[in-house]
Amino acid sequence: MHLFNRLFTLFFFLLFSSGAVSAMTIVPPDIYGRVVINNYRSKGIVPVVFDHWLHRAKFTCRLCHIDIGFAMEAGGTKISAATNMKGFHCGACHNGNRVFGGRKTFGSCSDNFTQEEGARCERCHSLGKNVKKEYEFNTFSKRLPSKGLGNGIDWEEAENKGLINPVDFLEDISIKRTPLKMDKDVVIESRGTWMSDVLFSHKKHALWNGCEVCHPEIFPSTKKGTIKYSMLQIAGGEYCGVCHDKVAFPLIDCQRCHTKPVQ
Amino acid sequence: MKRTFYIALLVLVIAGVTSAQTGVKKKRPLPYEYGRVVISNYSEKAGLAPVVFDHWLHRAKFTCRLCHVDIGFAMKAGATGIKASDNMNGYYCGSCHNGKKAFDDKIVFDTCSKAPEAQTRCLRCHSLGKNVKAGYDFSKFTENLPRGRFGNGVDWEHAEVDGLIKPLDFLEGISIKRQSLTVQKDFALGTKLEGMPDIIFSHKKHTVWNGCELCHPEIFVGVKKGTTKYSMTEIFEGKYCGVCHTSVAFPLIDCQRCHTKAVQ
Amino acid sequence: MKKLRTCLLCCAVAVIVCSGARDIEKKTFSWCGVVHAQDDWRNEFDDVCSRTQDAMIFSPDELRNLIARCDKLKPRVEKLDETQRKVFLKRLQLCRDLFLFVLESKEKK
Repeated sequence: MHLFNRLFTLFFFLLFSSGAVSAMTIVPPDIYGRVVINNYRSKGIVPVVFDHWLHRAKFTCRLCHIDIGFAMEAGGTKISAATNMKGFHCGACHNGNRVFGGRKTFGSCSDNFTQEEGARCERCHSLGKNVKKEYEFNTFSKRLPSKGLGNGIDWEEAENKGLINPVDFLEDISIKRTPLKMDKDVVIESRGTWMSDVLFSHKKHALWNGCEVCHPEIFPSTKKGTIKYSMLQIAGGEYCGVCHDKVAFPLIDCQRCHTKPVQ
Repeated sequence: MKRTFYIALLVLVIAGVTSAQTGVKKKRPLPYEYGRVVISNYSEKAGLAPVVFDHWLHRAKFTCRLCHVDIGFAMKAGATGIKASDNMNGYYCGSCHNGKKAFDDKIVFDTCSKAPEAQTRCLRCHSLGKNVKAGYDFSKFTENLPRGRFGNGVDWEHAEVDGLIKPLDFLEGISIKRQSLTVQKDFALGTKLEGMPDIIFSHKKHTVWNGCELCHPEIFVGVKKGTTKYSMTEIFEGKYCGVCHTSVAFPLIDCQRCHTKAVQ
Repeated sequence: MKKLRTCLLCCAVAVIVCSGARDIEKKTFSWCGVVHAQDDWRNEFDDVCSRTQDAMIFSPDELRNLIARCDKLKPRVEKLDETQRKVFLKRLQLCRDLFLFVLESKEKK
């Protein structure tokens, strides 16, 4: 009985801290934002490794996650070679024809390729393989302002300075709409009296995400305060944690959000 | 007592953590998957795979009213309770799928049958998890249709205005001959959130495809505008506008499609 | 004479039964009324429910009349075979409820 109680307490402690532990793990800047997609590993296909940092510098979050329709969870989109070849998902740009910054984007999957072209598969299906990438993180990030954890890049500042210019429209895929004006900042009160409140900037988030990335799936309520969530849920990958811990700056950077001083 | 409490607490925590309905991004269906309905009332009992019905093809050929009012299909998967016998008697799917009716110069394939030689035909509908080649290819079919945002990626409204699709609204022997509908007025729906543009609801557009009975009174019960109060939360849950605009008509993620009236 | 009287009596009974059966659909043993009754309900259904498009222009009395006709149809539809019953009960319900809806909107104005 005594042992049983102890085990229970231990279990709860582990459950609670597992969320916190994943939030506390620090990965090197060039690996931060890495997504490993292995839906078809059982079929003997090497998992895909996708590092966010390059695409993040070139496109808005909205473009990939809304217009193209990528899920926000590794493996959630169920991309297959067939869908890529049809021009969906990765194949929306990686079709051997689209041009960005004066360079033609390499084609993605194909079912009819030569031996030389076969090496192209490894450009994405690279888990565990030593593949030389076209863009190198250190070289790329050197010229960008640095800040905090995650990729160690101040993406916001980089955009303000004009060092990056994320594209928000893709020909044949995007359909532009009049943007909705949602500039008001929102104060999210923290439950702990020792913690400053969060000053959430709608303007900054809407710039890269539009409305659709967050509403209604991640934040379903339009009335502030209706949905209650805790840091435990955020650390577990819900709400703010959908982005902030995997791609956007990690949660361990507390003061990045908890900025409103306690009155 | 204490142990029961702990077990209950444990179950709740696990349930809460694993069943996150809000707070996470769901998988967005691909254009050819959007509008897919899986029906499995009696299929498994009959030793068949559940039925997979993709709305896009029928949506291009018939009005919503024809199937959901005249033929009598429910608006929720499995709610109609279609049986093979119903189909064989010429109702529901069997209203058209009887091996005799012709649309666009093609004879529509027959539905359920007890004949052994017809067994391969079952797979055309009872296709969940099976690799069945469909009669119409989505990409080819929608190639020339005007592009739309989200959903099927087709602007159905535009397609009809341009005459590229001509949805049928009358089925001989099933539909009742009616007078044409009197034009209904558009009206504005106010939003609760400050800064969010109001919605201009077009009754005209909706009645062209739905008639009156589809929405009134089952979906919209309040007679006088403003009587029924509903919020976006309920809409997202699949009520009111969400009955159609979550699964078949353009999805709710396209905010600006409805919120069009500039804030004064 | 007796034979003639019996004959006339039988004819009279037959006429009464037939004329009565035309109105009372429930009498399944009647041979004159059955065939009509089977198609009647469909004609009535088509007649009543074809008017949903114009529900907005009817007066409250006309709407009440249409609702009453729907209510009268319901037991007839309930006697049909399983499939027809399922289909037409739903269609009748949609049609009746719409008339009621429009009636309420006119009365609340």
